[in-house]
Amino acid sequence: MSAHEHHAGALPPEPEKATLEGRNKILGFWLFLGAETVLFGTLFSAYLAFRNSVLDGPKPEELFQLPMTFIMTVVLLVSSLTSVFAVQAMHRHKTGQMLGWMAVTIALGAVFLGLEIYEFNEYAHEGHRFTTSAFSSAFYTLVGFHGGHVAFGILWIGLVILQILKKGLTVVTAPKVYVSAIYWHFIDVVWVFIFTVVYLMGKV
Amino acid sequence: MTENHSASQPQTQRHRVEGPQKHIVVFVLSMVLTIIAFAAVAAGKVNKLFVIFLLLGMAIVQAFAQMAFWMHMKDRGHFFPIIGIVGGVFVVIMLVALALLWTWW
Repeated sequence: MSAHEHHAGALPPEPEKATLEGRNKILGFWLFLGAETVLFGTLFSAYLAFRNSVLDGPKPEELFQLPMTFIMTVVLLVSSLTSVFAVQAMHRHKTGQMLGWMAVTIALGAVFLGLEIYEFNEYAHEGHRFTTSAFSSAFYTLVGFHGGHVAFGILWIGLVILQILKKGLTVVTAPKVYVSAIYWHFIDVVWVFIFTVVYLMGKV
Repeated sequence: MTENHSASQPQTQRHRVEGPQKHIVVFVLSMVLTIIAFAAVAAGKVNKLFVIFLLLGMAIVQAFAQMAFWMHMKDRGHFFPIIGIVGGVFVVIMLVALALLWTWW
């Protein structure tokens, strides 16, 4: 592990953009996020189309608990901020700090995921299962897909941490940190629309 | 900190390390908007259409702030990322409009 915070002079100020490969990786990732936006858009449009098709299952306003959603929102928002701090620590070449913030980020992500699993479990007990109605299918597909992204992000950032521990912060590993942070922010931005469109508008 | 910031400065000048202040401002803004959104719904008995537009407006403001600062989209060299995301959002708007029009009107 490279804890040489003071003589990391060889590393450029923004190591993630120091090589063409790094810059291309970031650009390619942004185009992927454009496609992800469309993917989530299809799930949102399906949800909006089916949100009143509840058959005999529970309605959104009977199901959703605002305090729970609020806690999940705050947890994910804070994790997005800690992810910013990780990238800022990287720009200062403080590898230890960066790894610490990344670890906090995935810990908060795990809390979010745990709350979501608990929430889905509660819903299932209340008779809101995947096959209950068009609403329930669209709900679980959209929110579950977001949860899947959180789970993937935890795995990804965890693996990046392991790689940094092994190889240190270099112009090769820095783009991975940066791109995984962008991904994490994207997940948070998608959640902003999920809590607004699914949970809050379901309660209005 | 770098005070004069002319274009002819070398790389190292432009790449001064940014402080956390802006990001904390975005965080506080996001928190405030989130709290207002939840409070508006929890309060209930307000004009339904007004609340929906308020919620959507605040979500969009929050998303913009986070994308601009946390995802660094306001920084230079983000032309193609903006094209990618704007293109994606354009398709999303069409999909949502289409789904709503087909289903409910």
